[in-house]
Amino acid sequence: MKPGFKKLLPLLILLVVALALPFAMLSNQYYLILLTTVILYATLASAWNIIGGMAGQFDLAAGAYLGLGAFTSGTLLIRWNITPWIGMIAGGLIAAAFAFLVGYPLFRFKVREVWYALSSAALVMVLRVVFMMWEQVGGPTERYIPFYDWSFYHLRFRSYIPYYYLILIILIITLWLNHRIRNRKLGYYLLALGDNEEAAEILGVDARGSKLKALMIYAFIVGVLGGVYACLYGFIHPNFFSSTISLEVSILGVVGGVGITYGPLLAALILVSGRELLRANVGGQLESLYLVIYAIVLIVIALFRPQGIGSLLQKAWEKLTTRAAEE
Amino acid sequence: MQDQPLLSVQHLTKSFGSLIAVNDVSFAIHRDEVLGLIGPNGAGKTTLFNSVTGLYKPDKGEVRFKDHNITGIEPYRICKLGMSRTFQVSRAFPTMTVAEAVRVGAYNRHEEREVEEQVRRMLTFFQLEKFASKKCEDLGLALLRRVEIARAVATEPELLLLDESAAGLNATELGELMDMLKSLRTDQDITLCIVEHVMKMVMGICDRIVVLDYGELIAEGNPEQISSNERVIEAYLGKRALQ
Repeated sequence: MKPGFKKLLPLLILLVVALALPFAMLSNQYYLILLTTVILYATLASAWNIIGGMAGQFDLAAGAYLGLGAFTSGTLLIRWNITPWIGMIAGGLIAAAFAFLVGYPLFRFKVREVWYALSSAALVMVLRVVFMMWEQVGGPTERYIPFYDWSFYHLRFRSYIPYYYLILIILIITLWLNHRIRNRKLGYYLLALGDNEEAAEILGVDARGSKLKALMIYAFIVGVLGGVYACLYGFIHPNFFSSTISLEVSILGVVGGVGITYGPLLAALILVSGRELLRANVGGQLESLYLVIYAIVLIVIALFRPQGIGSLLQKAWEKLTTRAAEE
Repeated sequence: MQDQPLLSVQHLTKSFGSLIAVNDVSFAIHRDEVLGLIGPNGAGKTTLFNSVTGLYKPDKGEVRFKDHNITGIEPYRICKLGMSRTFQVSRAFPTMTVAEAVRVGAYNRHEEREVEEQVRRMLTFFQLEKFASKKCEDLGLALLRRVEIARAVATEPELLLLDESAAGLNATELGELMDMLKSLRTDQDITLCIVEHVMKMVMGICDRIVVLDYGELIAEGNPEQISSNERVIEAYLGKRALQ
């Protein structure tokens, strides 16, 4: 057997499990929602890894790009009956263009660390207000996506399963992109910038250009997801510009392990499903208790695994692949 | 015919608030020489380095590298033109391995297909093969310095500026560093400019020395001239040393 195949084997098994999972849960609609939520967050966090993990720019604007994607795709569908398949791409492009406008001055003036986090967080709040006031597309009431039982053109399904598979495809593309970037010039440049910007620059790294690329790729993926998000929930509302989602995504990125390709995926699998299950099981007895438990888990991880739980995965992976190579 | 200098600095001034860190300094570096830049602590050596390599924008003056006016342009463009540097306080890439750190520099002149080869060449040249997969944060000072020089040389510069590379090294390590720098000059054809406090190194490898004091250029000459220059002795040891 070729060593390349053995290296890929664990990934193939994961893929088969991911493909089969919905069928194991057909009997319970709740688990399907849970599953879809988990991989949605996994995709958001994996995209975040490119800017937040590799480039070290602590981005808190996921909600901004998600909202832009949702509003682009949703408005195109509601107003002009344009299919969300085109809307998603348009949403991604608009989010990326917006990221360019924001990133250009921020990276020009080398806004980093907590200042970058605050600026990007402010972006979400500003956009929320703008869309609240912008009556033509937003406004304070929900705008509903036309309802269909089962329409591929309108991306409307009665079941969660098609959404799950769609997001799974985006997740796989995002992970592949992560992997590809990580092992090429852009990835090395981003990691170097994250570690020490001035040292990187005098080694020929174009800080602004590299970070802009990273930010735009991340914004594009999140924008595309926004389009799916709108159809999944059946409406668009300015509250989609959510600081909570933004924060959640960055937490998953950090807990997963900054700059580790599969870390955010692992973090989302454990944390989001854990949180939702807690909510379902103890939420009934004592409201918000699940948040307390969730917070304690986060603190414990931060204390004992500051490099993220993804590093455990990385170690296991290294062992596995070296053994595969030895055989 | 007089050779055109590789780097020429004309009337460079850089101040921070009311503090003039570098005041109207002019000097040149010629191809294939090793220029030493010395001066007491706080004389403005590092500020001068930072202004030349694009980290600071100078207030006044001009920096020319080869045929280009590089005053105040971005560091990565300067690197593309063929100048790189190391830092006084080590600026390693802590989360990267040695090979990865060198690879960042290697991308400057090599595309994806050849970059691996360039990294291997650099690791061999700097005898870092053994440490290739070690994280930079796990390395000691001497190795870190070597990695920093390796990644800068990987960009294939014509001019390399070294900011206090010898500080804190023991005698053996210092010897190794000096041998390495000499071979950089002979094997890789790199012109060097070093900021240094360790006199053994300055006197050992420099062809020419410029001396800064309080941001001003006070002397220029070969090592013998400098070591007997009155203003230099005064700056380093005080006026009474001359009496």
